[in-house]
Amino acid sequence: MAKLTFGMLMAVIWWSLHALQLDEERAMHAVHEAKSAVDRAAHAAAQQVDRDLLELGILTLDPERAETTAYAYLQANLRLDDHFSPLPDSLFREQVRVERLEVIGSEQVFPFTYRNETYDYEVNLSRPGVVLIVHLAFPRLFGVLSPIEWDLKGAAEMVFP
Amino acid sequence: MKQLLVFVLFASLFCWLMFSPVYKHVLLIRQALIQQEVTYLLEMGASGRYGYIDQEMVTESRERLSAYGFDPNRLSYEIASTSGAVADDRFAPLPRGVGLRLTIRYPYDNLLDIDRLIGLAPPANDARLSASGMKMSEFVP
Repeated sequence: MAKLTFGMLMAVIWWSLHALQLDEERAMHAVHEAKSAVDRAAHAAAQQVDRDLLELGILTLDPERAETTAYAYLQANLRLDDHFSPLPDSLFREQVRVERLEVIGSEQVFPFTYRNETYDYEVNLSRPGVVLIVHLAFPRLFGVLSPIEWDLKGAAEMVFP
Repeated sequence: MKQLLVFVLFASLFCWLMFSPVYKHVLLIRQALIQQEVTYLLEMGASGRYGYIDQEMVTESRERLSAYGFDPNRLSYEIASTSGAVADDRFAPLPRGVGLRLTIRYPYDNLLDIDRLIGLAPPANDARLSASGMKMSEFVP
């Protein structure tokens, strides 16, 4: 009987270690995928040149188009719907929050240092660009892992030859 | 005698406890590797120099992945663009502003079959591991 109890106890411990490792590996995978989604969204937003001002020789971003594009790329890469709720094939289960979307246009003096104390983020931009901060919660499969939430930060500059 | 009985009764559970973490780990690593490959191809393909992902790049990517133990012939690549234009033609690169979309798929390879020991059904035969992404092209003619 003692051996049986010991066996069962070992099985439980072994299984919870297994669950912990599985979830940790999934979390690493999720954070990588989400970070590249944030980077791609910021990058796409930073390509939205304001064409009317470009005619006048001013190279700057169109904030409205930058915002629409950033959201579209974030939704496509994380597989979210229009309200940032995950679609069935998404890796995430909870609504994704866009905490900050800053479009830094030619009104600033470059090189420009963007600072955000709240999210502890600092980035140097040498051209007009976009800063994006997104809040995500990791969907745990098992209760062994304590809850994980991320504030993922991404920045991109306008690209031109 | 009693111990033998216990062992026989729990044999499948023990087998599952011992071996399934390895299979799960292989699955997760494969998923991570194809995700990394998607990121790399998009980074290259959407850059100002290319603006496309052509067959040559796909062949090189198959070679890279086969070094990790993937079967190159069973990897499937789906390359598309947000504008509907062809995205794998090196003579017609996607211009700046158009999104380049890539999905890589690979079969599960019976890696989840071991879950049958505890009564879980493995995914269907046509189910695939997949990784995808979309990045805006930087190519300016």
